[in-house]
This record gives sequence, C-alpha cells and structure tokens, in this order.
Amino acid sequence: MKLKYILGLIIAVVLAVVYYKFNPEVYHFFPECPFHKFLHLDCPGCGSQRAINALLHLNVAKAIDYNLLLVMSIPLLLMQLSVKVYAYFTQQAIVLNFWHKPITPKIIFALVMLFWVARNIPFKPFNYLAA
Amino acid sequence: MEDQKPQDQAPFGQQPFGQSPFGGAPTPQPKNWLVESILVTLFCCLPFGIAGIVNAANVNSKYAMGDYAGAQAASAAAGKWTKIGFFCGIGVGILYILFFVVLGMGGALMNR
Repeated sequence: MKLKYILGLIIAVVLAVVYYKFNPEVYHFFPECPFHKFLHLDCPGCGSQRAINALLHLNVAKAIDYNLLLVMSIPLLLMQLSVKVYAYFTQQAIVLNFWHKPITPKIIFALVMLFWVARNIPFKPFNYLAA
Repeated sequence: MEDQKPQDQAPFGQQPFGQSPFGGAPTPQPKNWLVESILVTLFCCLPFGIAGIVNAANVNSKYAMGDYAGAQAASAAAGKWTKIGFFCGIGVGILYILFFVVLGMGGALMNR
C-alpha cells in the first residue's frame, strides 16, 4: 500500500517537472489525442497538457484559454486529494459526502457534454473554448 | 423510473419510497469511480471517461433509491470503463513515445 503511494508521488513529480520544462506547444514529443488526430475535433480533454504547462507557470488565464473544464475541476480535485491525504494520515474514514449525492454526477455529465459540444462550434462566443 | 424490488434486499434495506437512506444505511455505498472518471475524461482524452461518469450517476441514484444490487452492478461497470479509458490513455502515450524514439534513432542513423 505504501509503495503504491511512493511510486505515485515519484511519477507525479517527474511529470510535473517534464510539463514545467517543456511546453507542449513548442515540443512535439507529447502524445496527441487520437480523437483530435483522426476527427480534427476537440474532446473534453483536449488542451489539458498545454493547460497543465500554463498552470505550472502560474498562468491561469492561458490555462483557461486551453481548457476551461480542467481549470474548473482543479479546486474540486485538490479538495478531494487533501481529504484523502488527511484521512490517510489521521487514520479516519472521512469522505466528501458531495460525491455521493445523486445529483453530482448528473451535473458533471451535463457540464462535460455541454463543454464538448460548445468548444467545437466554430464561431465567436464558442471558439474561445477551443483548445 | 426504477421500481422498488422488495426481494433480495438487505434486512434493513427497504426505504420508504422517495426517501434517501442517509443515517443508518445498512450497506456502505459502493465505490462510484466519479473522481477517477473525471480524471480519465480530462487527461486520457478518450470518451471512455464519460461512460464512467454515467455509471457513477447510476451508482449514486440507485443507492439513494435503496437498490443496492443495482448500485453494485453500476459500480462494477463504472470501474470497468474507467480502467479501459485509463489503460488506453497510457497505451497511446507509450506508443507515441516509442514511435518518437524509433523515429529519432532512425533520423540519427540517417544523418551519419
């Protein structure tokens, strides 16, 4: 169990360093999304790698430009991570009740689908969402 | 939508219809894979994460209605889709890097 966490931490740090040092906009050895490569459309995750690079350089505006959904989900994911870490170190079984409400996945699903459609509409208010 | 099925339920599992089982729920809610599905949707870039989110919705709503077997099944499905998405993402990444290494070595040999 502990080994898993240590390995995860090492991988996270290595990835963070790689995504900090190399901008996916400039270097082309980063994997490209197959959905984008073959269909030439943006999926909900397109632009994540560039957004992570921008976030690591603390450029939130640029990250929002690449992938709004990723930036919106960061606070939620950080909250979940801190609860997990706290529960692990204090040996308590605390969970965020929020994830278990029936409405939560529905809202998330609606947001993801709306974002997916909207970012592929090729004119003005919508194309700001494109990757 | 879903009918209450009174057979094969846990002894304290029968909730009055339309009431959520908070407080003294007999079985803990199965893992709903929601966070993992979101991560797959955002980072593995394959729409499998969305299948995970849909199944996570099923886990939560079936559990809230007292359909524990249904929630368990939805949990298994959510886990399956999330893992498929995760390993597809990893696989594409590794293939891409391998492709790059092969190309780079080929280029280096050609330029000699």
